Amino acid sequence: MTVATAIVRPFTQAVGKLSAVHRLAPWLLVYLLLLPLPYVLSGLFNDYYVYLANRICIFILLTVGLNIVKGFCGQVTIGHVGLYAIGAVSSALVSLHLGAPFWVSFPIGVLVAGVAGIIVGLPSVRLEGAYLALATLGLGESVRIMIAVTPLFGSSTGLIGIPTPEIGGFVFDSFERYYYLLITATMIGIYLSFSILRSATGRAFMAIREDTIAASVHGINVPQYKLLAFVISALYAGAAGALFAHMPPGYIHHNNFTIIEMVTLLLMVVLGGIGHIWGGVIGAIIVTIIYDQTLEFYFYQPLLFGLSMVILVMFMPRGIGGVIDRYFVTRRFIGAREGKTDGAP
Amino acid sequence: MDFDFSSLFAFILFGLTIGVVYGIVALGISLIYSGLDIVHFAHGEIYMFGAFFGLVFSEQVGVPYPLALLSAMICAGVLGIVIERVFYRRLTRAGGGYTVAGMGMIICGFGMSVVLQNIAFLIWGADAEPFHVDLGEPYQFGDISLPKSYALTAVMALFLMAALHFFLVRTKLGLAVRAVAHNKDIAFLMGINVPLMISLIFGLACALAAAAGTLIGPMQSVQVEMGYLMLMKAFAAAVVGGFGSLPGAIVGGLLVGIFENLGAAYISPSHKDIYAFLLLILVLMIKPSGLFGVEARVKA
Repeated sequence: MTVATAIVRPFTQAVGKLSAVHRLAPWLLVYLLLLPLPYVLSGLFNDYYVYLANRICIFILLTVGLNIVKGFCGQVTIGHVGLYAIGAVSSALVSLHLGAPFWVSFPIGVLVAGVAGIIVGLPSVRLEGAYLALATLGLGESVRIMIAVTPLFGSSTGLIGIPTPEIGGFVFDSFERYYYLLITATMIGIYLSFSILRSATGRAFMAIREDTIAASVHGINVPQYKLLAFVISALYAGAAGALFAHMPPGYIHHNNFTIIEMVTLLLMVVLGGIGHIWGGVIGAIIVTIIYDQTLEFYFYQPLLFGLSMVILVMFMPRGIGGVIDRYFVTRRFIGAREGKTDGAP
Repeated sequence: MDFDFSSLFAFILFGLTIGVVYGIVALGISLIYSGLDIVHFAHGEIYMFGAFFGLVFSEQVGVPYPLALLSAMICAGVLGIVIERVFYRRLTRAGGGYTVAGMGMIICGFGMSVVLQNIAFLIWGADAEPFHVDLGEPYQFGDISLPKSYALTAVMALFLMAALHFFLVRTKLGLAVRAVAHNKDIAFLMGINVPLMISLIFGLACALAAAAGTLIGPMQSVQVEMGYLMLMKAFAAAVVGGFGSLPGAIVGGLLVGIFENLGAAYISPSHKDIYAFLLLILVLMIKPSGLFGVEARVKA
């Protein structure tokens, strides 16, 4: 613990000092530090790792979104991949068939996913727990089957040649260039998620998670906030989907949205700790890298992922986020006992 | 094109037979739900394992079909008890329902379903295996011919339901199971071995799923990915009938089977698998308690 303290304390102090300048300052610094990552990666390894970084960004967006509805609001949803698919397909269709540029099709994709989020969220007004899980799983799987059997949505061939975005002559046509778009979206996504968590809306979500009846007694419009949580998380999923669809190969297929993607997504959230934003981000990074490094054991992957999910739920129900929280809470108490309040943010 | 009543009748008949199978799986899910307050997301995979057990017993061991059915049920029951003892016990002890532990149980079952599917894939491969059972000439109803395996399925399903009903209502062990389903603490005070009863519930539910798998084997082929869709349809059946209600599960299964077959016949066959979900979502939105269910527990 002392080693960890020695590493973490200067970091937290630096973050504290930066936040004192402006609350966005640490975010900007991290963003600027992460921007040249593709050059480091392609210099040290090769382009494939840049692609991996892109995938991680997309999954971070998805995890952060899922955490809002699942972690903050406590609604069990398993159909998140369906929303991701809706975002991807609608954005791709708008740009393929209407010839709209990315900057038009992206918001449309996000909005369509948001509307779909209302539909997925509607059962949550009347259902809880297992019922809700069933309803969302049914909706998510219906979306995939719809895509798989409808020619317009690119049934078995998938949608090919989705144009890559460009801004003033700068075309995001390689993984390195697309990374700038993704890291920007991801940083904004994480920051917004923190803002939501700290706002009255986020506190209402958490009140619903802790005790629905008590929340409604305290004047929180429970159905409205549940729906809002679903819509926000659907917007995240739609953004991730649209960004995925326009990524340079410009190709989506219904096999990108199967149950295995859902399992990976769930594993990320569970590993990171349900309801912990940084935990979710770390979970997304770890799981994507492990998923990628074990590609040669393709046939054993579901076994590995499923088993680690089961064991995590059994023995480490709060995930990595729980470990982080415990560390900071311990630090805070030690600090309070020593009569000073540094360290913990 | 005038309306063809005999083909409508045929669709309903096939819908009924497949619906009975949905009903059996839904029965298991309902049993677990009413007993433990948890939804078992790996039940589809137990069903798939049951089908493979039946296949192995009837093709490789070479026992007659009814015996293969029985053996598959026993094997899957044991498998279910082992899974429950090893993995779920820690979570069910913490209390199921709608707590955080309930969410853990959903995730855990989900993970377990992936694990079981992968294990089956590693053992039996991804190919669809035909399940040959020679039962003789199909029955003839006018110009509809009904294969005997369908008839056998319906009869077996009715028998299993009757047996389960008899067990739960007429025997002392069944009374204990119902007591545990009603209230575990009071059942414990009455001297009932609650953990054993929970294992029994799990074993029974898994045996039912295996029976469904072995029964459906001769109609369709047996393959690794069959569990997932069946799970969804059985869930739909259980919800339509009312979650936790045993007669409701059967009626729900029949409804889902008929709905799906009619939809495939008159709307679009390629969307066949969506109709069950549509029915599920419709029922969840309009009447979450289902046809026979007690009030769905919705807080606030």
